[in-house]
Amino acid sequence: MSNQRQASSASQTPHLSPAELSYLYTSLSLPGSPIRPDGRSPTQFRPLTAETNILPGTNGSARIGFADGTQAIVGVKAEVERTTLSADTLDAREFDPNHDRESQEGSAAVSGHGSWVQMSIEIPGFRDDDALPVFLSEMMRESLVGSVGADESGMAGGLKGRLVINKRWHWRLYIDVLLLSQPLSYPLPLLSLTTHLALLSTKLPKLKSQGEEDPFFDDDWAVAEYLYPRSSSTLKKSPSQHVRPPVTLLVISVGDNVIFDPNREEIAVADAVLAISVTRGEGGGLKLLSIRTIDPPSRLTQPGIPNSENVNMLGATPAEENALTQATGEEEVSGVWRPRRGGVKRSVVANMVRTVLKKGGVGEEVLEGLEGVEVV
Amino acid sequence: MMADRRRVNGPSGGTRPAVFASLAESGTGVSERAQRQRQPSELRKIFLKTGLIPTASGSSYLEFEPSASLAAARINPKSLIPPSSALKLACTVHGPKPLPRSAAFSPNLVLTTHVKYAPFAARKRRGHIRDASERDLGVHLETALRGAIIAERWPKSGLDITITILEAEDDRWWADAPDSHDASWGMMNVLAGCITAASAAIADAHIDCLDLVAGGVAALVSDEEKQSSAAPKLMLDADPAEHRSIVSACVVAYMPARDEITELWLKGDSSKASLENGDKRSVHEALLDGAVDAARGAHTVLAEAVRESLLKTVG
Repeated sequence: MSNQRQASSASQTPHLSPAELSYLYTSLSLPGSPIRPDGRSPTQFRPLTAETNILPGTNGSARIGFADGTQAIVGVKAEVERTTLSADTLDAREFDPNHDRESQEGSAAVSGHGSWVQMSIEIPGFRDDDALPVFLSEMMRESLVGSVGADESGMAGGLKGRLVINKRWHWRLYIDVLLLSQPLSYPLPLLSLTTHLALLSTKLPKLKSQGEEDPFFDDDWAVAEYLYPRSSSTLKKSPSQHVRPPVTLLVISVGDNVIFDPNREEIAVADAVLAISVTRGEGGGLKLLSIRTIDPPSRLTQPGIPNSENVNMLGATPAEENALTQATGEEEVSGVWRPRRGGVKRSVVANMVRTVLKKGGVGEEVLEGLEGVEVV
Repeated sequence: MMADRRRVNGPSGGTRPAVFASLAESGTGVSERAQRQRQPSELRKIFLKTGLIPTASGSSYLEFEPSASLAAARINPKSLIPPSSALKLACTVHGPKPLPRSAAFSPNLVLTTHVKYAPFAARKRRGHIRDASERDLGVHLETALRGAIIAERWPKSGLDITITILEAEDDRWWADAPDSHDASWGMMNVLAGCITAASAAIADAHIDCLDLVAGGVAALVSDEEKQSSAAPKLMLDADPAEHRSIVSACVVAYMPARDEITELWLKGDSSKASLENGDKRSVHEALLDGAVDAARGAHTVLAEAVRESLLKTVG
């Protein structure tokens, strides 16, 4: 348990021998065409099964299972809440005598507030205040509320604007993520894809009241409206129909290669791990919402010992004079695993982001694939 | 809710000092936003000193220069509300020390980071128990430092890094209502300060590192009333209290000697932003480069502070 907690952001420390790690690293870093343990191409995702609207008590829900048995369920619930400015914000316009009380409740009521979206992640084996669940939920929430409106009114755009009912009332959204299985690999792609699907299937009851009245809703669930409007026909799409929930992709770099959706063994030898959140912009293109580095687990691995340093191999290899340089452990002996050190070059980061964002790239492919899941 | 039942806590809601409308109307400048006096690429001055906490194996104290308006308000206070705040934090390093018997074997140094805002650090009171944002900061800091420390030289040992934030940055100007770009931008400046201070404290504790890792922030800010009228500008080390809204911001932990980034945190929707003419980089690349430049600036201060601490131990 304590071991699990210290390896917070890096997920679990892999139980692979230095020789296995070295073998994996070599095959994944082959220039041009990495060989992955399960035979996927660098940009290919693991096969998954998905279904939506599985929980009748929620506004929207989804389940995704990967072929390796990891499964996640997400439920989205919405509540109506009165809008109040919190105590730490003091609107200077309160002082302005020419300002009437009505217009002063102002911008928070129009553009929404990030705290209206609450997210909790439950991962078996972790307490809810452990680093990994907290880090994951902050990462997914920040891209969700970070996306802003398509136009100046803010209503058509990001999630925050959609939650506004009128100046005095808003929706509060609870997103509860449940990982049903042990986290066999870093659970970010699974949780992010499931959350995306659940938000796509989320419906809010149709509003019957108008303007600044207290909200009053149609009790016919059949006429409820999607939180993210679906495009019924592909012919005419208003800008707001392009807006989709963000999806966070896990990308690793090994050598010169950029690899998507790594499984547990692959992430164990990664040089750098990035979580990149993207969503569809107004024009249908992709836009970047956030990037975070994740501590690569390869820093925690055990180093291999080259034959020249191995006591059991004394005499079997020719003695070397450069014992001094070996003590610093800086040089690489080919085929002997060294835990990764240091960080990532800027060019590598740029390359990873470019692979995600480019037209017809992985980001678009993932968003299209999720769109294809039939929302019942 | 994580309520702390062992201590007598203050009211959860909190109150504000009274501001009289007459004061605000009389144009004394109380309700005027602080203006950035620095150049876009100019950082705030940093005060960094190591070894102030004798019981710890390494420690450091970091302070950002208060903005001009804050300095003026301190000399000649016109209101009970300070116009902006400046970062102050203390960092202690305990270890390397043996892991507890119950812990599993580790071939590397086990790093534990703990970031805590003092209850009085921000305008709104913080509880004694770390909340989600403080834990999140702890993970970011751990990622930044783990890349720099040569961990395999201390098998079976642990290193505790504790940061107490005495005064935090604001997320926006205190009199602004949150707008659509609102997020916890102050946290990013705090993280950059944490990285720089922790790096100095680790050097003070004589723990082997690849390089001194420094933190830097760059942000795209828009100061216009109308967001669409002008392109947002790239500012290094932006103080959120000085700008109308921040479109996007980026923190890095950077090691100049290796030209490598150990921690990168970029957030904000910069899709509609554009750079000046002739700049071919995409917006996120420009942000990243800006943050690296800011980190280079912080690194010079860091190197000087570490040299000072070394001279103190030698002679």
